[in-house]
Amino acid sequence: MTDEQVIETIDNALCEEFELEPSDMTPEATLFDKLGLDSLDVVDMVIVLESTFSFKIREDPALREIRTLGDIHKFVIDKKRQIETEG
Amino acid sequence: MGTSSSQGLLVRAALIVLMNLVCYPLLVALTFISVVVCWPMLLLTKALTGWRWGKCARLLVWVYGRVWLWSVRPFVRFSREGFTPELARTPSVMVVNHQSFFDTYFMGGLPIFDIAFAVRSWPFRMFWFRPVMELAEYLDVESLSHRETERHACEILESGSHVLFYPEGHRSGDGSLGRFYSGAFRLSKAAGAPVVPLCVSGTGTLLSPGRWWFKPARVKIKALAPVYPGDFEGQLGHRELMNHVRTLMSQELSQMENAAEEIL
Repeated sequence: MTDEQVIETIDNALCEEFELEPSDMTPEATLFDKLGLDSLDVVDMVIVLESTFSFKIREDPALREIRTLGDIHKFVIDKKRQIETEG
Repeated sequence: MGTSSSQGLLVRAALIVLMNLVCYPLLVALTFISVVVCWPMLLLTKALTGWRWGKCARLLVWVYGRVWLWSVRPFVRFSREGFTPELARTPSVMVVNHQSFFDTYFMGGLPIFDIAFAVRSWPFRMFWFRPVMELAEYLDVESLSHRETERHACEILESGSHVLFYPEGHRSGDGSLGRFYSGAFRLSKAAGAPVVPLCVSGTGTLLSPGRWWFKPARVKIKALAPVYPGDFEGQLGHRELMNHVRTLMSQELSQMENAAEEIL
C-alpha cells in the first residue's frame, strides 16, 4: 500500500464513521476545531484505525501529540513502516 | 384573492408583534418570580416529600417550564405523544434533537419531571439559574471530563432519575438533524440504561438560532420506543447504538415535518 493509498483509506474510514465532509479532509484540518470531533470521537477514531489497518496503537504515546488530520496520516504511515521493518 | 392574502399577512404580522410584546415580558416576570419563590418552594417540597435535593430542584425546574408553556398557549400549540407510564418508571438516557433555546422549556410539557439535563457551559453562566441547575445536578459537559460526566450521570440513573442529552451538541441552524456526539450512548452502554429518543418539531419555528423574535408555532414532542444498549455489542457498539437512534429520529422527524406541512 502506497502512502497515498494509506491516506485515502484513512480519510474514507473517518468520513464514513464520523460523517465528515470529504472536502474538509485536508492535512491541516484540526480534529477538534475544523472537523468538529470531541475527545470521545478521538478514542473511537483509534479503534477505527486499529480495525482498518489491523494494528494496535491505543497505548502509543505518540497519539497524544496528534492535532491534525495530517498528524494522523503521518502517524499511521510511520506505524505501518515500523511494523513492516520489524516484521 | 390578493386582498385576503395581504389581510392574512397583516393579521400574522400583528400576531407576531403581539406575541413578542406579551411573551418576552412574561418570560422575564416568570423567571424573576421563579428565582425568588423557588427557595421557599424547595424547602417546602423537601419537607413534604423527603426526596433528595436534586429531585426536588428538578421538580421545580419542570414546574417553571410548565408554567411558561401554559402562559404562551395563545401562541403556541403543544402536543406530545408516546409517553407511557413504563417510560417514566424506567431510568433512561433521553436524547433530543435541538432546534431552539426553548427546547429545554418544552421539557416542562413532558409527563416526567425527574430529568437531569446534560448541557454545555453557557447556561451555567446565567447566574440566576446556576444555583438551581447545580442543585438539580445538571451536568456541565464542557467543564467536566467525559469520565466525570459519566460517573455523575450513572449516579443519577442509579437513583432512579433520567438524564437528558442534546447529542447534536448545539442547535441546528436549518432544522435538520446534525451529526451526533457519542457521550450519551457511551453512558447508556456503561449504565445499561435504555436510550429514549425524543423528537421535537416546531421549536425552530418558535425561535430559531440567530433570530430574536418569537413566531407562533405548533410544537410536538414524540417519544420513540426505548432502545436497549445490550443489542449493540463490540468495541464500537455505542456508535452503532448512536447511528441506529439517529436513523430512527431522522425518519420520525421527516414524518413529523411532513405532517406539520399538511396541517399548514
